Amino acid sequence: MAESYRRSRWSNALFILPYMTVFLSLLVFPLFWGMWLSLNKSDLFGGARFIGLKNYYRVFSDPVFGQAVWNTVIFVLVSVPTLVALGLFLSLALNKTTRASSLLRGLFFSSTVLSVTIVTLIWRFVFIPGDGLLALLFDKMGWEQIGFLSTEGWSLFSVGVATVWWCLGLPMMLFLAALQQIPSDLYEAAALDNASRWRVLTRITLPSIKSTIVLVAIVQIVMQFQLFGQAQLMTNGGPAGSSRPIVLYIFDTSFIRWDVGMGTAASEVLFLIILLAAMVQYWVTSRKGEA
Amino acid sequence: MAVLSKKNRSFSPDKLTSNRALFWIAAVFAIVMIAPALWVLGLSFKDNTLLMRGSEAVFSAPYTLKNYTDLFHSSLVFRWFLNSMVVAVGQTVGVLTLSSLAGYAFARLEFPFRKTIFVIVLFGLAVPEQAVIIARHQMFSWLNMHNSYLGLMLPGMSSAFGVFLMTQFFRAIPKEIDEAALLDNTPRFRIFWKVLLPLTMPAQATLGIFTFLLAWNDYWWPLISATKKDMYTLTIGIASSQRNFAQTEGLGFLAAQAVFASLPVIIVYIFFQRNIVTAVSGGAVK
Amino acid sequence: MSATIDINSVTKAYGALTVLDDISLSIEAGEFVVFLGPSGCGKSTLLRMIAGLESVDKGTIHIGGERIDTLPPGKRGVAMVFQTYALYPHMTVAQNMAFGLENLKVDKAEIDSRVQSAAETLEMAHLLDRRPTKLSGGQRQRVAIGRAIVKEPKAFLFDEPLSNLDAALRSRTRLELAQLHQRLGSTMIFVTHDQVEAMTLAHRIVVMHDKKIEQIGTPMEIYQRPATRFVAEFVGSPAMSMMPITGIVSAQSSDQKGATLEVEGAGMVATQVPLPASFALDGATMGVRSEDTHVVQPGADGLNLTVTVVERLGERTLLYGKLDTGFEMIVEDSGRSTVRAGETVKFDFDRSALHVFDGTGRAYHMAEEA
Ligand SMILES: Nc1ncnc2c1ncn2[C@@H]1O[C@H](COP(=O)(O)OP(=O)(O)OP(=O)(O)O)[C@@H](O)[C@H]1O
Ligand SMILES: [Mg+2]
Repeated sequence: MAESYRRSRWSNALFILPYMTVFLSLLVFPLFWGMWLSLNKSDLFGGARFIGLKNYYRVFSDPVFGQAVWNTVIFVLVSVPTLVALGLFLSLALNKTTRASSLLRGLFFSSTVLSVTIVTLIWRFVFIPGDGLLALLFDKMGWEQIGFLSTEGWSLFSVGVATVWWCLGLPMMLFLAALQQIPSDLYEAAALDNASRWRVLTRITLPSIKSTIVLVAIVQIVMQFQLFGQAQLMTNGGPAGSSRPIVLYIFDTSFIRWDVGMGTAASEVLFLIILLAAMVQYWVTSRKGEA
Repeated sequence: MAVLSKKNRSFSPDKLTSNRALFWIAAVFAIVMIAPALWVLGLSFKDNTLLMRGSEAVFSAPYTLKNYTDLFHSSLVFRWFLNSMVVAVGQTVGVLTLSSLAGYAFARLEFPFRKTIFVIVLFGLAVPEQAVIIARHQMFSWLNMHNSYLGLMLPGMSSAFGVFLMTQFFRAIPKEIDEAALLDNTPRFRIFWKVLLPLTMPAQATLGIFTFLLAWNDYWWPLISATKKDMYTLTIGIASSQRNFAQTEGLGFLAAQAVFASLPVIIVYIFFQRNIVTAVSGGAVK
Repeated sequence: MSATIDINSVTKAYGALTVLDDISLSIEAGEFVVFLGPSGCGKSTLLRMIAGLESVDKGTIHIGGERIDTLPPGKRGVAMVFQTYALYPHMTVAQNMAFGLENLKVDKAEIDSRVQSAAETLEMAHLLDRRPTKLSGGQRQRVAIGRAIVKEPKAFLFDEPLSNLDAALRSRTRLELAQLHQRLGSTMIFVTHDQVEAMTLAHRIVVMHDKKIEQIGTPMEIYQRPATRFVAEFVGSPAMSMMPITGIVSAQSSDQKGATLEVEGAGMVATQVPLPASFALDGATMGVRSEDTHVVQPGADGLNLTVTVVERLGERTLLYGKLDTGFEMIVEDSGRSTVRAGETVKFDFDRSALHVFDGTGRAYHMAEEA
């Protein structure tokens, strides 16, 4: 009967049809197809045979996977706190309206827009023995040179340095955005109360951005768990797998050894880890909305 | 302690939230930050044979443009550049079109299961690339779409981020604008096209630049999909050049490639810094 | 160009929440009608139902005799001016006005001439090439009205169009709207919760409250003969003072034309309001407007008012205070009043200007002079 312009109509769904086609065929379908593949013994081109959870068993009993998980966890445990701490420091130092700080902000963020291949290339120029920037520096200082990318113990660290250099901009920007949300009358009130800088930092600034700190940490955990390009290009996981992360394991298994079943199984495991982190993230953000 | 200095009466919160020492530490850190980039820039202007004898040659003349002119003669690097452009621009146009249509519908139109579908799409945001990439690779093999522009562009268009962003933007436009248009007897598609879409231009710019960068920098998908050298994107091309880094004889040439490949994104960054920052931080901080 | 509007038993609910319940209303062609009521009473909803922006759950709406509640908004021949103006931000003033006509495929020359003449009417010909963002609030307001005028609609709908303007501009625009209505002679419906706007603009005011129409009447009827206690208290500033009626001495005395009441705090009051025998005494009240009260000499007859707040308005002074029985009362004194808070004054009220309300809120007034 009565007509409303807001009436629900099927024809309105035509507007989402193009996206939904792409979404379903290139995201949803491969997602489930990947799960199916992980339950099959198959290769990229040939047939498949259902083998249940065997692939998962193979993955978990593969010492190389164990090492990759270990490497990734260590990498996340070190790089994420570094990124959060440095990002927080920079945002506090550069939360000013002066030209100089705006310039520095732009500089610190600029590396984020580079592709992973450029980043690794730049850092290889820094790390290469003999001709690298660090090699020159060590020579000048009279120190013994280090094979940053070829020494066990150093390789993952070097990948981490390049990663921090590449990823630092985002945490900084997120913190800056949060800092700018703090109403300035809080600071004016603090000034009238004669609060010291330290107390202002610990009693006003940090508590005000607490939820952003948590959020940034989780976002970084999700991102760093997916470490791939840097490790693949700088060390290719070496030496002796000491810098191979999970995603590189997935890549090697699927596209170098063409063991699709095992590759998808490993990727489902990682997906699960990331999903957990994303759920925590959702929980944190929605709680933030209530506060 | 006197927080409000006598000399400068006007109060600025800056004074309580930061101090000079912090700023200078950050400035020194900035030098560390930019040193590797300058190092590569320096290398790119050095003659390769000079560099063979030792890279400290960077710190003194002579400098040369030879590496860059070599780049212009290297047909492959240009081909890669072109491929990257086609893929990045194509993907951007695709994402903008799909996201605008879907964002408008999710924000403004009623249709069955609208909320459910939107939630499902949001779940798509949580799906990491490695959970789908192997199956995608297989699909594109069946369809014979590897080593094609369309094959390189399509997967990036499935990202839910753009839809999410555009939905937010359409929601932010006051409903009265649509209603005024309805009273002006405007057909549905014309409201979208003539009235609302022009208002989302800032969002289009933000999403467009963001998508362009993402597409330009994408590594994993082109790595497995573009296996023919002349279908490489610049990102993959540079990766293939550095894979035999140890044996390379042209450090300077490689450095010039790095500079050349990052130029487009750096230029985009310089001009659209604000949009990029909005795009990456907009969703997270409210 | 102007048309009648007939609203017939219209009902609207959002889910379980009924917003409008069985509303009927007839508006004559060329009439200026104001919907007045407290926030949330459903004024906008009713207006938007006429416009077609909300669906009608039950009932019908006719404009100019044609049933329109089944038509889409653009086909109803009405124009609406929104509180936020809702101008298209990316179009110039001229484009804003022309947009609707272009949709109707009106020819170019005709559009131009209508836009021109509307711009001249509203004295904004010099603004035609500007974008809305470059205009002041008052100018945007004009553009919004201009956009409505060019459509030559059967009826104009205004939803609190003045509430975003500052006080001076608001009263000026109010005047201009009245002039515009005179010039165009179109049917206009105007929503507001500002009673001054309602009183000054309307031919008839529709007072709405709690899903219902409380009263429809001319501004003077609404003010002098409010149909219910709600209308009496809602219209008029300051609000009417109420005193509880404890008893009826005589419902209709022969010498006077009304009932004699026993009023708490005021004793016996001989009114000119005739009351029926069925009058519901429980919860009944007597209302007095402050302008019908006056301060008297200390020795004279009257009631005591202990003044708590003195509001000096210049030409008059309002004394807010309490009667001996504790009921609150507002009394008017002259502009030169010297009364101060804390003092007690004596006042009296005009017996011929009383309003009586029964327990259900229904109002009784003195008999209308023929
Ligand atoms: N879309 C909606 N969904 C649910 N309830 C609504 C909706 N729109 C309005 N309402 C409710 O309907 C009632 C009437 O709203 P309406 O906007 O008509 O009030 P109003 O008289 O115009 O008030 P105001 O003077 O504040 O503009 C309110 O209680 C409101 O909460
Ligand atoms: Mg309203």
